[in-house]
Amino acid sequence: MSDDFRASAPPAGKPRPYHFPAVTREKLDNGLQLLVAENHSAPLVAARALICSGADRDSADLAGLASMTTELLDEGAGSRDAIRLAEDLGLLGASLATGTDWDASYISIDVLSRNFALSMDIFADIARRPMLPEAALERVRKERLMELLQQREEPSAIAGKRFSNLLYGRGTYGNSVTGTNESVSRLRIDDVRRFYAENFLPNNTAIVIAGDIDTRNAVAALRKLFGDWKPGPPPRRPLISPAAIEKSRIYLVDRPNAVQSEIRVGHVGVARSTEDYFPLTVTNALLGGVFNSRINLNLREKHGYTYGARSAFAFRRQAGPFVVSAPVRNEVTLESVSEVLAELRRIRTGDIEERELEDTKNYLAGVFPATVQSSSDIAGRLLDMELYGLPHDYFDHYRENIAGVTAADVARVANKYIDPERAIIVIVGNASQIREPLGTLGYPIHDLDVDGNLLTVA
Amino acid sequence: MLDLETYSLPNGLRVVLNEDHSAPLVAINLWYHVGSKNERRGRTGFAHLFEHMLFSGSQHVGNNEHFRYVQSVGGVLNGTTFFDRTNYFETLPSQYLALGLWLESDRMGFFLPALTQEKLDIQREVVKEERRQRYDNVPYGTAFERLLHLAYDPEYPYHWPTIGSMEDLSAASLDDIRNFFSTWYRPDNAVLTLVGDFVPSEARNLIARYFGDIAPGKSFPPFDRIRKEIRSERREIHASRVPLPRIYRLYHLPRMGDRDWVASDLLSTVLTSDKASRLERALVYEKKIATDVAAYVLPTEATGMMLVQATANADVPTAEIERSIDEEIERIVVGGITEDELIRAKNRAEVDHAHQIENYDTRADLIGMFTTFFEDPDLITTWLDPYRATTTADVAGVARRYLVPENRVTSIFTPEAA
Repeated sequence: MSDDFRASAPPAGKPRPYHFPAVTREKLDNGLQLLVAENHSAPLVAARALICSGADRDSADLAGLASMTTELLDEGAGSRDAIRLAEDLGLLGASLATGTDWDASYISIDVLSRNFALSMDIFADIARRPMLPEAALERVRKERLMELLQQREEPSAIAGKRFSNLLYGRGTYGNSVTGTNESVSRLRIDDVRRFYAENFLPNNTAIVIAGDIDTRNAVAALRKLFGDWKPGPPPRRPLISPAAIEKSRIYLVDRPNAVQSEIRVGHVGVARSTEDYFPLTVTNALLGGVFNSRINLNLREKHGYTYGARSAFAFRRQAGPFVVSAPVRNEVTLESVSEVLAELRRIRTGDIEERELEDTKNYLAGVFPATVQSSSDIAGRLLDMELYGLPHDYFDHYRENIAGVTAADVARVANKYIDPERAIIVIVGNASQIREPLGTLGYPIHDLDVDGNLLTVA
Repeated sequence: MLDLETYSLPNGLRVVLNEDHSAPLVAINLWYHVGSKNERRGRTGFAHLFEHMLFSGSQHVGNNEHFRYVQSVGGVLNGTTFFDRTNYFETLPSQYLALGLWLESDRMGFFLPALTQEKLDIQREVVKEERRQRYDNVPYGTAFERLLHLAYDPEYPYHWPTIGSMEDLSAASLDDIRNFFSTWYRPDNAVLTLVGDFVPSEARNLIARYFGDIAPGKSFPPFDRIRKEIRSERREIHASRVPLPRIYRLYHLPRMGDRDWVASDLLSTVLTSDKASRLERALVYEKKIATDVAAYVLPTEATGMMLVQATANADVPTAEIERSIDEEIERIVVGGITEDELIRAKNRAEVDHAHQIENYDTRADLIGMFTTFFEDPDLITTWLDPYRATTTADVAGVARRYLVPENRVTSIFTPEAA
């Protein structure tokens, strides 16, 4: 057989169309938004409650309140105590998760579709009738304090917390979602119950159901379970108050036995609602958002400095951080930071090859179906649409919006939203080995302890 | 009931096709029946290092081009290595099936001409960084490695983790890589699974075209090591930079798929899965002596293992944690488990399995595993049958026979003195 067919990549066949599942939307009189999408590829259903209040509501003094509240939701609800709740969910083949991130809190149930209706009774109890018992708070608080203690030895957790705090101070997005030792110790059950009462409101919530269900039945069931939920005054989002960065500077957190430096480079980015979302998505993917991006190819595949380096814009309701992150071995810390800064400078110059731009756009436009195979994936996309107020036809125009991004757009948004000369550089690592080399960058170096206190180093 | 078509090429490549047009995607998955189990002392970490090398190009695919070809058409891809196997997979828009097969066949048949010392040196550094990131620079990172050292004698290859040792990674040479490839990366040591949107006759033709002329292996070194029984518990206390003490245990089990392994899998769910599970309820919820506890079995081919770990709450002696774990196990041995507990554990197994079948990529990977380990792709449909047949007495029985001190090793991580 001739080997010619191996010489180059075979041509593509005929593309087949992809359609995101049809979504049924209904808003109840109490303000609760329902979104339902059928997907019968497996006998499973993903049910989600999106409460549009997250750790962004936490004051610095009570950081961790939102996440502690959601953690307590499954400590008994309706007529079931915590153990009974777990047992009954288990008998239905349902798994429950609750959680909080920056802009929202979530209740998730994944269940065998034959038990969907029964599991929704429990789902409604957890959202509407949690017991929030004081005894459970004491136990969960202890667990949280231990978790915070563990994080003090985890380099990526240390770096992430210090970076956020340096960007946003003690305000919104500046504290950890999980809080601090002091703030978590300070929480009272009344704080939890107040947070619940002020934020778990139908007019602050969306319910998403995706999977092996009949839409009409699901909507009817939700109406019955949530229709008489009383609305309240809509809670307000506190605004972020980041400090300006006049000139790039380095913050060093010493871990004397570290064999790697955990690096963060970045600054405040931009909100999800930005009109530049698509150019920025392409720019970040090209820069450091995927395996074959510049930063990863440079640090990993060209130099072997790291197992993986990446960049990301945290697109949130308000401007989240733009950050490049990489763990690298001690000996190449300076080189790695220098390469990252060089890549950030280069993306701003408009030095963009036609091929890498096309590759990146084709990836982003083409990968969508592979990322929404499961009911859980579909539910996740609907939650994002709801949280960020995306138009209902968002996914229908996603490909063309990506395809329309030009090299000039990339250069423009890179200049507007990425600035290596006004960046915070956080490095958690072995100071005795990396401080001196880092000094050659010419940026001021400040020493921090794990909690972010400035240290004076001789 | 999934519709599978199974056949072999003349060179021994086993092929499983699962046609499913619900999404315009195709998952391509290759399982090579080689892992860190096939390494020897002094050359640990090799199967995994090799997996990295297979992404660095082949005769007709340039360095870093493998990733580019897949990503630039909207595909996702990766590879993983474990004790018994190495898998490579990509999910592509379905019109790119031929591209995926071309890429996989090129690195199966034409890898060696593109191999260079420079590529090896780069990937060696990348893997060392992976080891630092996951093992050496994080609290408790070396726990699994320490457990394996205790649980298996140095000649038994589960003695070391897949990542290998720094020393051995440094010693890997180009000749080692060549020999490893020539020995193991043959069509008759692999399973190719396709799941998704394709026409089977076209897929068969493409597979014959791209894989048909790759020469089979001459012979594969048989795996004939026997795990040495330990007759009494092996223990160690390891002081390191961790904030809280944590107990790690490994209990020996029969290999994956054995009836006792299945019962042990269900037992691990009865022990830890939610607040109502035995160990979580006792240690975390009621006594509040641990911050977390987890028990699970690993999908291993040569011999089985259940891992149990628990983190001590502040100021709680680890002996108290161990005593409570043992008391809960004893309660199951003596009093059994309830029908409801068994139903809950079986439900969880059913949901987990359904989730894995839901996505093309995880479904293809399961089929690859069932074909590689058990020569039975139809296990994708029947896998849960032995779970359904398991009784409460079976679960208590495996607790009695396997979760005993003389069948376990224990490594305790404690904070080092400040």
